[in-house]
This record gives sequence, C-alpha cells and structure tokens, in this order.
Amino acid sequence: MTMNVNAAAAGGQLEDEYLAEVPLRKERRIRGRSIAVIAFLTFCAAFFCLPLYVILVTSFKTLDQIRLGDIFSLPTEWTIEPWITAWNSACSGITCDGLKVGFVNSLAILFPSLVLSIVLSSVTGYALALWNVRWAGPFLFLLFMCAFIPFQIVMIPLIILTGMFGIYGTVWGIAVVHAITSLPLLTLIFRNYYKDIPREIMQAAVMDSGRFWQIFFRIIVPMSGNILIVVLILMITNIWNDFLIGLTFGGLGTQPMTVILANVVITTTGETLYNENMAAALLTAIPPLVIYFLLGRFFVQGITAGAIKG
Amino acid sequence: MRLRHSTLMPQVALAPAVAITFVAFIGSILWTVYLSFTRSRRFPEYAIDTENLFRQYGRLFGDDAFITSLKNLVILGLGSTLAIGFGFILACLIDRERRGQGFFRTVFLYPLAISLIVTGVAWRWLFDPQLGMQAALHDWGLTWVRLDWLARSETAMYGIILASVWQGAGFYMALMLAGLKSINDEIWKAARLDGIGVWQFYTRIVIPMMKFTFLTCAILMSLGVVKAYDIVVAMTNGGPGQSTFVPAYFTINAYWQKSNLGYASAAATIMLLITLAFFLPMVIFAARRRRRAEESVT
Repeated sequence: MTMNVNAAAAGGQLEDEYLAEVPLRKERRIRGRSIAVIAFLTFCAAFFCLPLYVILVTSFKTLDQIRLGDIFSLPTEWTIEPWITAWNSACSGITCDGLKVGFVNSLAILFPSLVLSIVLSSVTGYALALWNVRWAGPFLFLLFMCAFIPFQIVMIPLIILTGMFGIYGTVWGIAVVHAITSLPLLTLIFRNYYKDIPREIMQAAVMDSGRFWQIFFRIIVPMSGNILIVVLILMITNIWNDFLIGLTFGGLGTQPMTVILANVVITTTGETLYNENMAAALLTAIPPLVIYFLLGRFFVQGITAGAIKG
Repeated sequence: MRLRHSTLMPQVALAPAVAITFVAFIGSILWTVYLSFTRSRRFPEYAIDTENLFRQYGRLFGDDAFITSLKNLVILGLGSTLAIGFGFILACLIDRERRGQGFFRTVFLYPLAISLIVTGVAWRWLFDPQLGMQAALHDWGLTWVRLDWLARSETAMYGIILASVWQGAGFYMALMLAGLKSINDEIWKAARLDGIGVWQFYTRIVIPMMKFTFLTCAILMSLGVVKAYDIVVAMTNGGPGQSTFVPAYFTINAYWQKSNLGYASAAATIMLLITLAFFLPMVIFAARRRRRAEESVT
C-alpha cells in the first residue's frame, strides 16, 4: 500500500553492480540511450510546465501587452496589479469582493471537514480492523461499493436531508457532506493500516485494560502518525480543490475559493481581464501546491493508497 | 486477527458509519431511483407514474443533449486512455533512468495537486483563439495550425481531453511506478543476459506482468470519466451550444437550471448504471486477486 522508497534505492544499487560487470563497449551504448531518454523526459516536462509558465507570466502582464497576443513572451513591464485586484475586488456574479472571501470560506470549510471526516473514518477503520464485529465483512464490502458511486446519485437526497437538519448552505453542512463522501475511501485506508498492527501489541493491550476507547486513544492513535499525515494531506487537497460540493451545498456566504474562481472567470462584463483571471487561478492553486512541494512523498502515498488495495 | 471480548462498544462506535451508509448512500440511491419513476418537477412527488413508468427515461433518450453527453462520455473515455499510455511510458523511462528521477516525478505529478477548475481556467486561456497559443503560433508564421478547439463544437471535446490527459497522466505514472517496482531485478538481469531487446522485453514481459496495474488504471479512469464535471464547467461550461455536455454536467444542469427533480434523478440513475457496468468487473477482479493471494499464503 505504501510506496517503498528503499526498494528503488536498492534496485539502483543492484543495477550499478551489474553495470560494472558489463564490458565498456556496451556501457557507451547505454549512455547514448540515457541521453535520448533524458531528452524525451525533458521535452515532456516542458509540456507539463507550459500551462503553469503561461499562467504565471500572464498574471504579471498589463492588459495592453496581453492584447498584443504573444502568450509565451515575458512581461515587458512587470505588474502586481492583477494579483491585488484578483485578491481584493474581482467580480464574481453580483459581488465584487475578490477571492479573499473565497479563501476565508475555504479555510472555514477545511477545518470542520477535516475533523469530522478523519475522526469518523479512523474510529470506523479501527473498529473494523481490530475488533470482533460479526457483520464487518459485508459492511466493508458495502463501503467499498459506496466509494465508487457518482456523487450525483446521492446529491438531491443530501440536499433535502441537510435542509431538514437546518445545515444546508452552512459551513457545517459542507463539512458533513465531505465527511459522508470521504467515509468509504478513508475507512478502507485506515482499516488497511490498522490491520497490520502486530497481534502481540493488541493482545497486550486487551490484557491490560481491554477497553475499546482506551486502547484507541492510548495505543492506536499514537501509532497512527504516518497514516494520519497521508490522510491529512489527501483530504486537505481534496477539500481545497473541491468544486461540486462547495457549489451545491455552499450558501452565498460560504462558497469556497474554487466556486468564486469559476464565477470570476465565467462571468465577464465587457473585456475579459485575463491577467486578473490568471492571478485568481494561481491564488487558488498556491495552498495545495505548497503542500505538494513540501510533502510530496506523503501526497503520492495518499493518492495511490486509495487505488492500490493491499 | 480477531479478538474475543466485548462486542458492544465496537458496534456503538460503528453506528455513525452504519447510519451514514444506510441513509446517505443506500437510502439516497434508492430515493433517487424511486423519484426517477415519478413525475416530480420542482418538488418531490411520491406517486409512482403508473400511466407511463419510464416516462422520464423516454424523454431522456429523446433529448439531444443527453445523447450528446453519452457520446462525449465515450469520446472522453477513449481519449483518457492516452493518459494511461502516456503515464506508462513516463513510468518506464523514469524507472530505468535514475538521473533526475525525483525531479521528473515531481513535475509530472504537480497537476494532480491543483483543482480541476484551475486546470480548466489555464487551458481555456491557452486555447483562446484570438490571444492564446494559436495567435502566438500564427505570429511565428505557422498559420496552418488551428488551436481554436474550444470555440468550435466539433473539436471542443478534444480540448477537454488534452487538459484531462495533462492532469491525469502523472497519476497513472505513479501507479505504474508502483507496479514496476514489483518486477524485481532478477528478471531484468535474466532478460539482459538472454539478450532480449528492450522493446521485446517491455512488450513480452513487463506489460503482461503488469496487467493488474493496467486493469486498475483502466477502472479508475472509467470511474473518473463518469464523474467528469469540474473541468467541463471551467473550460467550456457545456458549450459551444451543448456540444461538450457530459452526463454529470447534464444531471446538475437538469436539477439547477431546469429545476426538474424527476428528470435529474433519471439522468443520475443512468450514471449509476454506467458506473456499475465498470464496477462489477472490478469486484470480480478484486475477489479473484484476494483468493489468489490467500492461496499463495497457504
């Protein structure tokens, strides 16, 4: 389930030893191939970086320069004006308060959503993995099924349900929906992790106190450091980047940044302010990108954990 | 491992998850399917449409926009296989060439960290016919290049595919890298000593060994394609006309724009059926794999 970084290093070492045995003539050919491979990968990397480069330079250009039409050129005069207006006063539909509103809303959505979804699914995963529940098997299978259904099939009933509880359009409403939709996948991730806890530890814990919650808080939670980081990063990026749930369950004052961004870009009055739009897009992308560049390894573990069921 | 002791507390702890599963998932699905057989419009009506049970479905398949969205789903699915192929090639090259591995992996994966809305906004700008890539290439004298894809209904879908491939290739690369790790060095060595060519080695040994990884990627891709919504909103908002409607977009549109509950429910039910068609093979495959794993243990 986790990506084994050591295996890669070990593999590299083995290969080095092996290459040392190969006659020189062969090594040169391998080197030529290496150059071709690196050249091709560099070309692909350029393709991947192109959109980011274009958004970045566009966001620092003046509208006059953008009208000239050379999308790939560097700004002739650098301006941070688009960033300031995107943050403070970009218009989305009826209001012109910029993306700062969305940023605050996204943060307000993030914390309750994280707490609800992680508490709920870690307890569920723990109970299913380490305790003797007779119907655990069928229930897990049901959860597994629920992990794949499209959101649209439960959307309308959830709107009605959250409306009944009076949380529709509030931050808590969005948080509850995030907790519900992430429950299947997160539970499977937690369960797979807790399943591998050595038998002896659990047996000792049961002999010692045997209490469900005590074992959870004193032994299991302290052992969950690794998986918690992975799940946290997975959920932060998911919640921050979510559009549909924020759009559907967010009221006027609780729309996340992605929804505000989409409104800014889609509603144009008069001339499209491309530089401002690009600055707005970058502002929305910065938080998850920072997390990705700082904690990339955990991010990769998170996105592959859901895919590869060990 | 199972322990024989108190079973009451674990069941209490599981109650919220069970309630959510039965109310928010199973109950909601049944409710949506039920509504698709009623004549609900703005508000739910709980009388089954006895006159014509499949009225909503009949209208759905008579609706050009829905037919277009189904066609686009197929186009998007076929186009997205490029991302899997691309991801596999990148993974193989990175796996063999250790120089710069970390750098390339980081570059190919960063699109996955940003919102699809941001991706859509970026590519929308690149495809801008007057000021985007096309204008730049025309300025350089390449006037035969046409990159105004999003502006024309017959090519708009290809623009969405390109953006999706850009976003998703890194994800498949990461899965493929994990799969390639399972091919141990003994096999590499043996193949090299046998003098098998690189090309043959990949087509005859690596790809067959990784068929499970490919299948996983294909299923995840299919499920992702059925859910595709954000990228369409950000890039074309369904246009030009209705040419880039996809089922997810159609469903949301039927509910919010047309305020038609029954109609939206029927479209959502079709989405569920499509998902099940992809999902059932996965269940069978997972069960078979588990059985195989158990056999290898015993």
